[in-house]
Amino acid sequence: MIILALDALDLNMVTKYKCKNLMQNEYGQTSLAEFELERTVVLWASFLTGKNMEPEIPVKTQWEFKLRPEQTFLPFFKTHLAIDVPAFSLKEKNHAEERRLLKKYFDEEANVEEYDPVVWENHEENKKDFFGSLGQYDVVMGYFDLADAIGHLSFGLPEKMEKVYIELEQMAQEVKTRSDDHILVISDHGMKPVGRYGDHSRNGFYSANRTLGLNLPKITDFYNIIRAVAKGESS
Amino acid sequence: MDDHLIDLERRSISLIREAKAQFKNLAVLWSTGKDSTATLWLCKKSFFGEIPLPVIHIDTGYKFPEIYEFRDRISKEWNLDLIIARNEEATKKGMSPKNGKLACCTQLKTEALKNLIRKEEYDALILAIRRDEHGIRAKERYFSPRDEEFHWRYTDQPAELWDLYVKPSEDFSHMRVHPILHWTELDVWQYVKHEGLPTNPLYFAKDGMRYRSLGCKPCTVPIPSKASTIDEIVEELTTTEIPERAGRAQDKERAYMMQKLRSLGYM
Repeated sequence: MIILALDALDLNMVTKYKCKNLMQNEYGQTSLAEFELERTVVLWASFLTGKNMEPEIPVKTQWEFKLRPEQTFLPFFKTHLAIDVPAFSLKEKNHAEERRLLKKYFDEEANVEEYDPVVWENHEENKKDFFGSLGQYDVVMGYFDLADAIGHLSFGLPEKMEKVYIELEQMAQEVKTRSDDHILVISDHGMKPVGRYGDHSRNGFYSANRTLGLNLPKITDFYNIIRAVAKGESS
Repeated sequence: MDDHLIDLERRSISLIREAKAQFKNLAVLWSTGKDSTATLWLCKKSFFGEIPLPVIHIDTGYKFPEIYEFRDRISKEWNLDLIIARNEEATKKGMSPKNGKLACCTQLKTEALKNLIRKEEYDALILAIRRDEHGIRAKERYFSPRDEEFHWRYTDQPAELWDLYVKPSEDFSHMRVHPILHWTELDVWQYVKHEGLPTNPLYFAKDGMRYRSLGCKPCTVPIPSKASTIDEIVEELTTTEIPERAGRAQDKERAYMMQKLRSLGYM
């Protein structure tokens, strides 16, 4: 199974830029109604464990929060790899650098031209790790924060966001070309414009290359779906 | 006074008295604008003609001359215990609007106030903000705690049901008290008119332009208007589609995003 975990991937943008490979066979929105805030670490931890992890992850220490493998769906598969996944295998240094520059931007000590290249560089690193590991594990989960990190400072700038969505669409296309395994594309939350900036929206995105028959699922619903895939109960 | 203004005033006075009763070292911020002048007047009414609180004016050094004249005149007439907060150190180092709006506001306004709060050990401040000014202010409470860095955790605020204003149990540096939070811009002008309050002349149109919101001179621009009396301002407000703070150069979207990203734990 391949899980493309795309932070802040938004249904409206996927349809706007006609990203057919991101849409796959079945696609739609997820509901975050059970969460008070759309916090990235909380939502990915909830996806991994199948339960709402909001009460267990304080804001202040969220980036250090780590799940053990046995708390997640990953051991349902004989071999697994999770690349840069928040609450599990986050590349702390890369994300700390992105957050540092984000803060500097709002402190007017850095501009967006300094911030964007770091985000793209981290994205390229994950992409290399992700495509290098396809076919070697029963499940590979690759996390990419490109749409979130670029979107926060530039969601209202179509020329930038189009480039982001084209990149993610091309990745989905390559995954599809290289594997006919179960492919799940999932985001933690979507994004909505605030002037030139982007704020988390209350709906995430999902798509699958098999029919799941879901209707506005919760992000925690995928735990059992993935378990069924691991046990071979899903075609 | 009509029933609506009576209700607004009653609630505001009750909030001011509640704040005075709850906090040991309370002060009130006064920019000299219509909202904070109306709030000072409400403080006078709350305590039968005298304001038993220090009145803080944050002076960036870049305000309009009319603001300084108005401040000094009203301060004398109303017998205010006026404290002028300035960040002299930043001014000496050359901080000015040329360094960028956010950096300048942070140093000359926020830091000036932080320094004064530390020095005077204020545990609560009365501010004249209103919910209808901006989206982010719509989330405010009447009693709103801040930490030492002035951070506001707007996702974790008391509900304030049934007019109960409970101090949060966790530590906080100081409390912000917002007695005119429930007023609108139109309410304030109607109240100014009814009470005959003094008004900064910058609010009245000259050569087809007037200031609708007052800030520092380099960062505030007038709006097109023919309203040269309070009646005309009231009339204008009933039809205008221009936001009140359109003339203020602060980037509210940026401020909103910064606040949201903080609450999400990004910064």
